[in-house]
Amino acid sequence: MADHTVPLLELRGITKRFPGVLANDDVHLDVLPGEIHALLGENGAGKSTLMKVLYGLYRPDAGEVLLSGEPSGIATPADAIDAGVAMIHQHFMLVPTLTVAENVALGLADNGMLLDTTAVAGRIRELSARYGLHVDPSAYVWQLAVGERQRVEIVKALYRDCRLLVLDEPTAVLTPLEVDELFVTLRTMAADGVGLIFISHKLDEVLALSDRITVMRDGRVTGETTPGQTSKGELADMMVGRAVQLAPDRPAADVGEVRLAVDGLRVMGDRGLESVTGCTIEVRAGEVVGIAGVSGNGQRELAEAVAGLRQPTGGTVAIDGTDVTGQHPSRVRAAGLAYVPEERMRDGVVGEFTVAENLILVDHDRDPYCRRGLLRLGAIADACRDLVARFTVKTPSLETTTSNLSGGNIQKLILARELSGEPRVLVAAQPTRGVDIGAAEYIHRRLIDERSSGTAVLVISEDLDEVLALSDRVAVMFAGRIVEVMDVADATVERLGLLMAGTGVEEVGAA
Amino acid sequence: MGDFFTVASLVFVVGSGIRLATPFLLAGLGEAIGQRSGVLNLGVDGVMLLGAFGAYWTIYETQSPVLGVFVGLGVGLVMGVVYAVITVGLKAEQGISGIGIFLFGLGISDLLFQKQVGTPFPIRGFGDWHVPLLSDIPKVGEMFFQHSVLVYVAFALVPAVAFLLNRTTFGLNVRAVGENPAAADSLGVSVARVRTTTILMANTLAGLAGAVLSIELGIFQQNLTNGQGFIAIALVYFGAWRPVGVMGGALLFGLVSATVLQWKTLGLVSGAASSLTAMAPAVLTILALVVISRTVGQPAALTRPFERGH
Amino acid sequence: MHKRNHRKWLGLAALLAVLALVAGACGSDGDDSAGGDDGFRIAIVAPSASNDLAFTQSIVDGVGALTGVSAVDVTDGTFIVDDAAAAIRGYAEEGYDLVIAHGSQYGGSLQEIAADFPDVAFAWGTSSDTFGLPNVSAYTAASDQGGYVMGVMAAAMTNSGVIGVIGPIAVGDAKLYVDGFVNGVQANSGGATANVNYIESFSDVALAAEAAQGHIANGADILTGTAQMVVGATGVAAEHGAKWFGTQSNQTALGADIVVASQVYKWEVVLQGVVDGIKDGDLGGEAHTIDLANGGLVIEFNDAVDAGHARTLGENTIKSIAAGLKQTGA
Repeated sequence: MADHTVPLLELRGITKRFPGVLANDDVHLDVLPGEIHALLGENGAGKSTLMKVLYGLYRPDAGEVLLSGEPSGIATPADAIDAGVAMIHQHFMLVPTLTVAENVALGLADNGMLLDTTAVAGRIRELSARYGLHVDPSAYVWQLAVGERQRVEIVKALYRDCRLLVLDEPTAVLTPLEVDELFVTLRTMAADGVGLIFISHKLDEVLALSDRITVMRDGRVTGETTPGQTSKGELADMMVGRAVQLAPDRPAADVGEVRLAVDGLRVMGDRGLESVTGCTIEVRAGEVVGIAGVSGNGQRELAEAVAGLRQPTGGTVAIDGTDVTGQHPSRVRAAGLAYVPEERMRDGVVGEFTVAENLILVDHDRDPYCRRGLLRLGAIADACRDLVARFTVKTPSLETTTSNLSGGNIQKLILARELSGEPRVLVAAQPTRGVDIGAAEYIHRRLIDERSSGTAVLVISEDLDEVLALSDRVAVMFAGRIVEVMDVADATVERLGLLMAGTGVEEVGAA
Repeated sequence: MGDFFTVASLVFVVGSGIRLATPFLLAGLGEAIGQRSGVLNLGVDGVMLLGAFGAYWTIYETQSPVLGVFVGLGVGLVMGVVYAVITVGLKAEQGISGIGIFLFGLGISDLLFQKQVGTPFPIRGFGDWHVPLLSDIPKVGEMFFQHSVLVYVAFALVPAVAFLLNRTTFGLNVRAVGENPAAADSLGVSVARVRTTTILMANTLAGLAGAVLSIELGIFQQNLTNGQGFIAIALVYFGAWRPVGVMGGALLFGLVSATVLQWKTLGLVSGAASSLTAMAPAVLTILALVVISRTVGQPAALTRPFERGH
Repeated sequence: MHKRNHRKWLGLAALLAVLALVAGACGSDGDDSAGGDDGFRIAIVAPSASNDLAFTQSIVDGVGALTGVSAVDVTDGTFIVDDAAAAIRGYAEEGYDLVIAHGSQYGGSLQEIAADFPDVAFAWGTSSDTFGLPNVSAYTAASDQGGYVMGVMAAAMTNSGVIGVIGPIAVGDAKLYVDGFVNGVQANSGGATANVNYIESFSDVALAAEAAQGHIANGADILTGTAQMVVGATGVAAEHGAKWFGTQSNQTALGADIVVASQVYKWEVVLQGVVDGIKDGDLGGEAHTIDLANGGLVIEFNDAVDAGHARTLGENTIKSIAAGLKQTGA
């Protein structure tokens, strides 16, 4: 790196307060031209706030933002674009009903009265070729897979001649193969002199991609280092502020009888197409089976169909030998299923309810919570206090509105509720997505404990590291079916990556 | 008792359907523009009433239908400013604000009518304009080319609005803001400015729709629109938010109404059947809505106020 | 979140304030002239505008013609029955000497309210049902009589032999008028036909106009219609030079050169008796009908339109109906 050049971006002493929270506390960060600078930190560490300050969405209480040594003067997203700053948000800022070219053309300063997408499309093709970003300008965004959508976002930034690009958790939704492709593109951009801020909590990727790493915790910078000088363990410790065990201890499995048997299951997706196309998998007592796969290959529909939330069109689901195919969720639960849903705010809790109300959501009509149709508030409070303590849910009180808790604590709350019933089978979908490392560490430990105590555990995750850390057996789901199941000892990232991308799978679709 | 399937009868029904469709079409086109940008305006009917009264009163005082049209447009524009301040400026809930506008229009138009005019004296409108050459075509000319100039304006607006939405930069902004305002905002498109503009357009067209109604009927009366604005909103859903679709819905509604009327005039239906056929336009619209709403999604950000950073 | 809610309420508050102003302005609408405690005060609740040249105007004009009344208060435009019921109850509580519920749709509400206020006199129409209550008078019009007269005249005047009739919904006063009119047309030996089109709405002006277009397209050269939505049809008649017969009020204002005659309701003919009775302590309990014989129904001719011998025919028909020599109804 050319150390003598003026930094492209310099954040000096940024402080941002919200009522009751110091989101950024005297934060310094600089990015050189052509540098890939990783910003590492847990949820709530202040990364997003910092980036919103940079992008003009927040005004800092103290400190200044310099671009190429000059005050940035950015007060709105339009200013940021003019200054050559682009941001790719975790939730893509795309309009699904518009074409790729229209999405790119949106808001361009040199648009005339009439829309001319042909010129835009031409330049998109140019950029695609140069940076290895394959996109079809005339395709509608809703038709695109997640990886393609991300490429559209990058094209948008390149089209606007960005000098500084911020990427917020860009790899969360990609297959390993796509991650590699993304990194090639980002390195090409860096070679062209673009400065990149890469926000992530995936330590391997940060180490593999970046030139420099800044770690944040509780609104402050807790360390700045380079990949050559540090290790995964050290980075994790800097993020969490204490020693972290990244992979849970997994005692030898004591596998018993089949508890969950899914056979030839077929399920329709939301768009009326078949999403699960004949899925077969078994989970035995005392083992964790992890399902790896790229988002949108039928995992969500599979989980929902098993839990009774979605009506299958074919095949069977059995729990402990009892056929529960297409039964009401309450019957499925009665058969012994516990379910940690992917969309925890939508399907896992009622956000407006209190912590206590959510804890008894499943069992509120039963002893000891309810007698003769009346809730027994004393018994409920006792049980909830116990659960909150046992599962280390951080909440001001049992009466706190659940939506005010952090993602990690809400997930612990759901886990507390689901495991309190001593289930026979536990299905956990994306158990640590959007959850900070500390909570993820805890959740992983609880899942392993549950498995070791004899429950059959099915984990569905798009995070390969998570699948590999938890599973005894790994299954790969592609195009609505399980394409291969292997022992975790045989599962490598490379092999899984190929299977997840659909390569190496003979005969897909026909059934 | 006459025969419905005569050439004269069918020619009349088509012409009648077109006349009935015109106010729905104008109001529906405006509402479609608004909804494409994510703004629901339930106040259309109220704005129509104000536009209708404004045009009526102007013509009553000045005998100038042209001036009446401009007053109708102007009244709509003013109501657009009011609605924009409430929903874009104050970010109030669109549903209840629209109902407020409706009640306001309903009350004020009647109050002003009572105070300023009182008795529904007839006014003179434009009269029918026979399109040169085209109107001389037998039957076809009678059906399509012997209407008030306002009818031609309404139908000419269909391709114009479609062009605006699909082929202009402004239209792109409108569609983006209606689907994902955060994305548009992140690219420097002002959501507030786009929505304010579409609200002004929508209300101006609603004002025009009302003006067309009172000018064509040559009269004003309390609640003259009789809920047409609400039907226009339904027709926007019916037309899947596309100008041509809205036109199709308005024409279907108008033609079915005209057909039912003609049946009754000819004595083909009477008694209980008469009451039932009177519901036909509404029933058809509901059926079509059910079918369409299963296949086409509404603008994703419809009714959602936009606030940066949420 | 907080900020947004705050703004939302602000917007709502602003709207409500505007609405309250409007409501206030509307509420004061009415021609109450005096608040004298000892005079005779009448309140009217009616579904459409008090100058609609139709149903509501007929009662307002009728009450205006009464003698011995010190104040009249009108709540008009209450096409929502619940609103009307609230107004009726309000007037009863305020101690008006006579509360008139002008609309057959108000009957159900009135039956309850009248029972709650046995000391207040009510009148309602058009109906002949007093619910057996001693404080309720019912009034109705034999509007088939005027309809018949004008039907006879129309049949005599038509050149095309086709006459168009536009009705709202086939009930009550509207049905009486339309049936009478059709009977009148058929009584004429000229062989004219009357096409009847009930548009199933009292308020859809656009549909009424289109119904008129339809009648004319089907050859009609004379139109008539009843209820407040016909103002749309008269414009169409004027445009095409078709003649018009009106009812419920003198509709000459809607088209000075096309309105041949109007059947006008003089409710005062029966209401005067009701008012005088109340002053003598008789709160009601009777049903009243206005007709050609008692002068409650009057056919007002428009001298600007030359009806030729049809006018003579009409005047003779009036005489024979008043003398009880003709069957006019269904």
